[in-house]
Amino acid sequence: MSSREEQKAQARAERAARERAQAQLEQRRKRLLQLGSVVGVAVIVVVVLVLVSQSSKPDPNASSGVTVAGVSESRAMLRGVAQNGSSLGDKNAPLVLTEFADLQCPFCRDYALDVLPQIIQRYVRPGRLRLELRLQRFIGPDSDVAARAAQAAASRDRMWNFVDLMYRNQGQENSGYITDSYLSRIATAAGVPAKLVLDGSTSASMAKPLIAAQAEAQTAGVTSTPSFVIGRKAGQGKLLNLASLDIGAFAAAIDPELKR
Amino acid sequence: MSEGRLRVATLVTALLGVCVAAYLTYVHYAGLQPFCAGGGHGCERVQSSSYASLGGIPVAVLGLAGYVAIAIALIVPGERARLIAAALAVSGFGFSAYLTYLELFVIHAICQWCVASAILLTLIAVLAVWRLLLDDDRRPDPGAKEP
Repeated sequence: MSSREEQKAQARAERAARERAQAQLEQRRKRLLQLGSVVGVAVIVVVVLVLVSQSSKPDPNASSGVTVAGVSESRAMLRGVAQNGSSLGDKNAPLVLTEFADLQCPFCRDYALDVLPQIIQRYVRPGRLRLELRLQRFIGPDSDVAARAAQAAASRDRMWNFVDLMYRNQGQENSGYITDSYLSRIATAAGVPAKLVLDGSTSASMAKPLIAAQAEAQTAGVTSTPSFVIGRKAGQGKLLNLASLDIGAFAAAIDPELKR
Repeated sequence: MSEGRLRVATLVTALLGVCVAAYLTYVHYAGLQPFCAGGGHGCERVQSSSYASLGGIPVAVLGLAGYVAIAIALIVPGERARLIAAALAVSGFGFSAYLTYLELFVIHAICQWCVASAILLTLIAVLAVWRLLLDDDRRPDPGAKEP
């Protein structure tokens, strides 16, 4: 082979190597661009999902705003569960858990947000337990207004929706957050006419079930909220002495009663 | 690893994810408590927390839709489907990381099913990105171009 042909072959090889290197570089550039696009899209998707998640989380200071927090979560929790006045669940359930609560009480709120959804899922939906709510007015005048408003919602079998949304939008005790505007927003979000709730919040007729609830609490030996009585009938039975407000403590109290 | 093997591995992992999400969707709508190994209440607490739904849609349903979409994108051939699969997988991984943060620092409870899903999504994301970055000579038809 002449040296001229060798030079040509070498030049061809060098050109091919250059082209291969160029092609590899372009391929790498394309892959990095694709990876960048994938990461960019993922960041946008995740940010949107996180914002949606954050916008619907419970907010204890939401009472000062114009929106009602936790509406979709509250609906999801109560969807398909029967309500009748102050009771939640199957009227033929073998066991009744009566809760004595004050709507301004932060511990009642903690129970409502952390434990109640689990009790509904585990016991109420399968028809093993019915819940009864007996509102108390320990904390202050606003507790009375809120309790009367909730009783008005009970007349439309929406008490549990109303109460759950009140907890999800609870403000500081006796800070004056339970205004007509607040009650109207909660009522509307709970699916109750605002006028019905506002009229009820000052109505003497709504005080009757609250006086009865107070008498039940005294009979049961309730001294704080939330307190719970478990038995075969509403408001009657054994006062629970719970070590903590978690599903484990409730299960330890409910399960043996269900086995009887 | 070849493109074909990576695709099968990702698909199998995605189908495991479909099973996990389908189970959580079932227990949600059947009103049951999720099975929790060791008898803990973490799963129940997480599943019934206010973060278990997003704009009214249960997170389990979103997860199921995500896993199914990833599986479909893996079955469909072509560059575009590969990109979509990777984007879905990385998005799922990111959202799953956020949910794990909520479990650890906000809800203070761990759901074993959610942990399983987070691990699966991490694996899927790694495999999908690996597949995306494969050199052309490891792909089934290096000369093929997207229409």
